[in-house]
Amino acid sequence: MIEVRNVNQSYSKRSSKKTLTDVSMVVKENAITALVGANGAGKSTLLSVMTNILPALSGVVLLDGKDVRKMKANDLSKRVAFLRQSQQLNVRITVNDLVEYGRFPHCGGRLKDEDHQKVEEALSYMNLTDLRHRYLEELSGGQCQRAFIAMILAQDTPYIFLDEPLNNLDIKYSVEMMKILTQLVEELNKTIIVVLHDINFAAAYADHIVAMKDGEIYYEGPPQDAITPEVLNPVFDHDFHISNSAGRPVFLYYDEDDPNCEVCVS
Amino acid sequence: MTNVKQKRKGMVSQPESPDCPKLTTFEEIKKAERRNLVFVSSIIITLLILGIFLYIFSRTYAKAWRLGVPMRPDAFNSILQRSIPALVAMGGSAFLIAVVSLSFQTIVDSKILTPSMIGFDSIFMGTQTLLVFLFGTTTQFFLNPHVNFIVSAGVMVVVSFFMYSAILRRSKNNMIFLLMFGLVLSGVVSSGTRYLQTIMSFYEFTQVQALINVSLNNVNETLIYMVVPLMLILSFFMLFRHRIYNVLTLGSQQARGLGVDYQKELNFNLILIAIGMSLSTALIGSLTFLGLLAVNFARMVLKTHRHLPLFMISGLVAVITLILGEAIVELIQGAVPVTVVINLVGCSWVFYYIIKDNKI
Ligand SMILES: Nc1ncnc2c1ncn2[C@@H]1O[C@H](COP(=O)(O)OP(=O)(O)O)[C@@H](O)[C@H]1O
Ligand SMILES: [Mg+2]
Repeated sequence: MIEVRNVNQSYSKRSSKKTLTDVSMVVKENAITALVGANGAGKSTLLSVMTNILPALSGVVLLDGKDVRKMKANDLSKRVAFLRQSQQLNVRITVNDLVEYGRFPHCGGRLKDEDHQKVEEALSYMNLTDLRHRYLEELSGGQCQRAFIAMILAQDTPYIFLDEPLNNLDIKYSVEMMKILTQLVEELNKTIIVVLHDINFAAAYADHIVAMKDGEIYYEGPPQDAITPEVLNPVFDHDFHISNSAGRPVFLYYDEDDPNCEVCVS
Repeated sequence: MTNVKQKRKGMVSQPESPDCPKLTTFEEIKKAERRNLVFVSSIIITLLILGIFLYIFSRTYAKAWRLGVPMRPDAFNSILQRSIPALVAMGGSAFLIAVVSLSFQTIVDSKILTPSMIGFDSIFMGTQTLLVFLFGTTTQFFLNPHVNFIVSAGVMVVVSFFMYSAILRRSKNNMIFLLMFGLVLSGVVSSGTRYLQTIMSFYEFTQVQALINVSLNNVNETLIYMVVPLMLILSFFMLFRHRIYNVLTLGSQQARGLGVDYQKELNFNLILIAIGMSLSTALIGSLTFLGLLAVNFARMVLKTHRHLPLFMISGLVAVITLILGEAIVELIQGAVPVTVVINLVGCSWVFYYIIKDNKI
């Protein structure tokens, strides 16, 4: 279980402006939690605090009752995997090597049969088997993103944190990615927290929504309650229009001044 | 294994079809990498043996021939007796410098900074002089080379650990700052050392000179049998930890996500690097660009990020550069010491890098 208690965080010690203000939440187990909010709301910062990449200034994050700051880095990395919002590598390596590094917490770089098997599974999950010997720099943005996700999958942790994993993915792979996440929760009992920009993806696939605004949790609840204009308009500071498709609300984003947009509202 | 084939593989994705050419498998890539390593190592070992023979030859027969005297067996033996410690010292130091430079580059994520470039060896020399200056008049203690070495190395480890861990924590990504810092530090230390040397007594001065004016032609022989085993232990210890360095090449953040405590690694490696730099500087003096040359050369020929082959090849390249270079200099009785040549080539390399990528 992951529990966040009264976490405060700010990047500069002098300024009074906080990036996170008194954030508390309990991560829903065996479910997909979608973290939504405008740019700069503090979503990435919250994930960094929860994974102890950026220890909190005050407050605690408890993983199974233990303070993550006091856990050994290796123990933590066997429990929690974190895909950062942007990946830069200064090194020329192949997809296969990258995914193999996902096993480092378990085998310290000495891969055994079990580790090779997990690597295979992760590669085939992300449909990368054919690209495994390509260097990352020779791949498209989306393929690269999939390689990093495969590394996270190979890490095989009960908790998976993904910061905007749909970045760079086209529609096909975005949908496939969300299906894979659903599968991971249903078949392997994983707990997933994912930052999503597309509200409709959150509405369709998440079990729980956490909406952040200005470093605070603005609203938390199941999608049917959270994905409403009452919650989301203030969170994104935008007037959403909603249409219905097969009984599900679909959010339409458009420029109110654009005359053509009448068409989409119907 | 060409790109075209790989692209085909990506699109067609039917590797089993019989008329399709057999595609490169993972094992084949690994095999090719290994073959490359074997090829490179055999060349390197050949060169190494050549270097050792040439070194001994140039100090014995070549010299005798130049002087127009015959080489007597007893004279040969006595020169050999003196050449072996020099070879051991050069080999151990060069290997260690390369290993330490590579681990440093991995830790700070730079391909051109090395410990000597940011002033590690200056700190060592400064510490030694300061110790003799402060305590030399009252006690013979620090004039004993072994004691002086241990104390200087200890002080250096502490000083450089605190200095660099503070600096690296704040400006790890600021290479220009680190370079400037190293430059200024070396300047301050060398002029400070010179100042202390002018105001100390003549006896102390000669002692300090003996301690810090070590060079390839003037290896500190009293220290060899203490320092070389330590060098080997340290080199192999770092080689043994090659898997952790591999993960660190992914960057500090990824490494942390994979369970490597980056801050702990940084601190631990700074201590190892400080020890390594003390060992090699005490034995053969400062060789600013040897590590840089060896590591970049190994990266260029191996084209891998894996540290085990990189450590081994860069270590051997450093050893060869030094021994073969020294042998050639002795052979042709060149006026230029090999360190000058190494620094010249190393400097040019940095220059090339900066101009090519327009960054440090
Ligand atoms: N490394 C950093 N240094 C200083 N400020 C930062 C840093 N990272 C993020 N911030 C600031 O913290 C706030 C929250 O950022 P972030 O957590 O990345 O938001 P989100 O992921 O929700 O878009 C923003 O105002 C941003 O400018
Ligand atoms: Mg973000």
